[in-house]
Amino acid sequence: MAESTTDKIKFRILKAIDISGFTLFDPIVRLMFGEEPNKQLERITKFIIVPILFVLLCVGVWFWMGPRHKTKSGEVPTPDVVWSSVKINDTIAEREKIKADDFLASGKDRAERLAEVQAEYSMLEGDVTEARVAVEVAEKEKAAKQKGLIDPLQENYNTKRADIRSEAKARSAMITDLAAQVAQGSASREDLLNALREDKLKGDEEKETLKLLKAEIDEVRSEKYAPLQAARAKFDSYSDRLLFLNTRLEFLEKRNLATKLDEANGQLDGYLAAFDEAPDGKAVLALAKKAVRAEDSIERLAGQNYASSVTIYTQIYRSLFTVFVGFFMAAAVAIPVGILCGLNPIFMAAMTPIISVFKPVSPVVWLLIFQIVVGAFFPDPENHPLFNFLGAIPFVKDLQVNPALVFSACTVAMCAVWPSLVNTALGVASIDKDHLNVARVLRLGFWDRLVKIVIPSALPLVFAGLRISLGVGWMVLIAAEALSSSDGLGKFVWDEYQNGSSLTFANIIMVCFVVGIIGFFLDRMMIVFQRLVSFDGAPSAV
Amino acid sequence: MSTFLELSDVSIGFGPPNNRTEVLSKVNLKVEENEFVAIIGFSGSGKSTLMSLLSGLQQPDTGGVLMKGREVTEPGPDRGIMFQNYSLLPWLTVFGNIELAVSKAFPKYNKAQRREHVERYIEMVNLLPAMEKRPSELSGGMRQRVSLARTLSLQPEVLLLDEPLSALDALTRSNIQDEIIRIWEEDRRTVVMITNDVDEAVLMADRIVPLTMGPKATLADEFVVDLQRPRDRTTLNSNPDYIRLRNEITHFMIGLNKEAADLRTDQKIEMPDIEPIDFTAGSRRKRGKVA
Repeated sequence: MAESTTDKIKFRILKAIDISGFTLFDPIVRLMFGEEPNKQLERITKFIIVPILFVLLCVGVWFWMGPRHKTKSGEVPTPDVVWSSVKINDTIAEREKIKADDFLASGKDRAERLAEVQAEYSMLEGDVTEARVAVEVAEKEKAAKQKGLIDPLQENYNTKRADIRSEAKARSAMITDLAAQVAQGSASREDLLNALREDKLKGDEEKETLKLLKAEIDEVRSEKYAPLQAARAKFDSYSDRLLFLNTRLEFLEKRNLATKLDEANGQLDGYLAAFDEAPDGKAVLALAKKAVRAEDSIERLAGQNYASSVTIYTQIYRSLFTVFVGFFMAAAVAIPVGILCGLNPIFMAAMTPIISVFKPVSPVVWLLIFQIVVGAFFPDPENHPLFNFLGAIPFVKDLQVNPALVFSACTVAMCAVWPSLVNTALGVASIDKDHLNVARVLRLGFWDRLVKIVIPSALPLVFAGLRISLGVGWMVLIAAEALSSSDGLGKFVWDEYQNGSSLTFANIIMVCFVVGIIGFFLDRMMIVFQRLVSFDGAPSAV
Repeated sequence: MSTFLELSDVSIGFGPPNNRTEVLSKVNLKVEENEFVAIIGFSGSGKSTLMSLLSGLQQPDTGGVLMKGREVTEPGPDRGIMFQNYSLLPWLTVFGNIELAVSKAFPKYNKAQRREHVERYIEMVNLLPAMEKRPSELSGGMRQRVSLARTLSLQPEVLLLDEPLSALDALTRSNIQDEIIRIWEEDRRTVVMITNDVDEAVLMADRIVPLTMGPKATLADEFVVDLQRPRDRTTLNSNPDYIRLRNEITHFMIGLNKEAADLRTDQKIEMPDIEPIDFTAGSRRKRGKVA
């Protein structure tokens, strides 16, 4: 039976799915091509719908459990709170970009932007006032509504408190009496002590009662009033937007690069023009000095860039950069050393103690060691040629490579080197004896044997090792960044923990997912490479 | 005719000196130019070791391997060896596998010459349609044909076939036997083939040399196969010479086996006198009860 075109397309898609390790989608593709629909539906139910249901169940449990667990940082955020924090982070990033554009805008573009912002600003101003009024109204409503509930409680509390106070007074008077009687000898010491003990117990009890009553009132007061919350949210979002527009205005007017340059140029022109009217040499010299200084400042201004504050995306970008720097460092060491280990049993024996001892060392320890050892190479990072060089490369410049990044990358490399090294050595050492015999019969030289027999044969295991290395590296990186304060996801999450804003908890959970999802895609990427180099059709692990 | 390949008093063994196992002991063999010699033996008798010695992959402890009067000290493309388990490089295509061999055997070829050479040998084994396939996409018979083409492409002076067909099924096997014979008859050269199949040996070889049972295996007296070539496997079955030769060799081989078994009587292990328990009886009864 000849293959039709659709069959060819189908098999090509299925092959691509297979190589990328997304065999999950296999039945969907087959179903779309109408291949045994019942069987495919069964597979979809078993291997797609059931897992989705399970994930949904987990999310449901999260929804239910989260608010029921009170912590120092408030409730455990539910999935929707985490999602809103994702959106907030996205908005922050978007605004940073707009501000950067504003800063660099000039001429007609600037004028257009300015007009747009001003129009929105004036419109929003009214909205904000309205929203503020709405909040006040809602607050009053809430107070009125709660008055009926709180007043009786408060009254009850007040009377109770008065009762308790008078009782306590009576008790203390009695005790004073008793003390006097003891002094006269008409009462026993034991009685006085007992009375004191009883008084203390009573006092504690009374305090507890008052506390409970107070808590009841507080609870009513803190009860959420939906209209007020809605009004507050509206007001917050308006005023947040207004603040943003304010900043934009600043960047379009006073702090705009073009404006600042114009100003400086104007000043320079003024000084130069004043030359003609200068009365004497002294004045000319002063003017000339000013002009030179103005020129300097223009030059400095022209090279200026918008100092963007960090956003989740820049942190992700920097983390990925760092992990790949570390990963390539690890691969550059692990593969050659691994090949040597695999080829030469003596070298392997020599390396074994080093591998065995250093492999289990924690990334935290490595980071500290690198901060000291590698840090010694950069006593003055500001003027170090390496950082100056990296600061001049177009895309790397944005990453602001600093010693902290180097330490993090070194830590990643140190922890990621072992799986690759061990796997490469294993791959090289376990080459089929027959393949080596072929090499001997053909009298291949060392390099030919290495390039044509040893490396191709070991490649699947090498890539299996690299895959583990990248996974380990990504995991280690977050900890290293947190500890070394190298900008990236690790620092982001650590800063969140330290700052303690209302979004802290949600942001931390968000980072958990971001790290997980990126790690997943990195792993998939390595699976694809692994599959492409493996000649034996090695099945991809999950 | 002159002696082309020679084993003289070759012995090889392994293990520490105080507990040494001699695999081959005092093996002598002379192979003449363009002769097809089959070495036949039971599995484990040291056939593959013998082949390693001939190819130079292993060195004998005593004695020597001589080719055209010169001692063999290392393997080389002039002694093309075809391995039992194909030994194709799985990451290269059929073409790539053969090209690697050709580029080493004929380093002076330019790209076009090399290509032509490779294709000639792929054609010789009828694999042109599978030229760009990888070994994992080929059947066992096709893989062995690739291996044959690779060995032949070296244009070796001696062809060493190490049980080349033992991993194949009977039909594929006879197919490739015919192919090897056809190619050999077209382009005669010295062949040493190792096999455990008497029919195969009689069909293909000029001379059959049995290898006695190991350890301390050595070569027994040879059988000369003087059947007319080309030999046709369909008519051969009724050829009285063929039947006689086949029976002789088979008897000899069975005798070897008996001899070896007799030699080993001292190592007979006393088995305890016990009767096996019939596990099925119990379960059958149980099942019966349930029913």
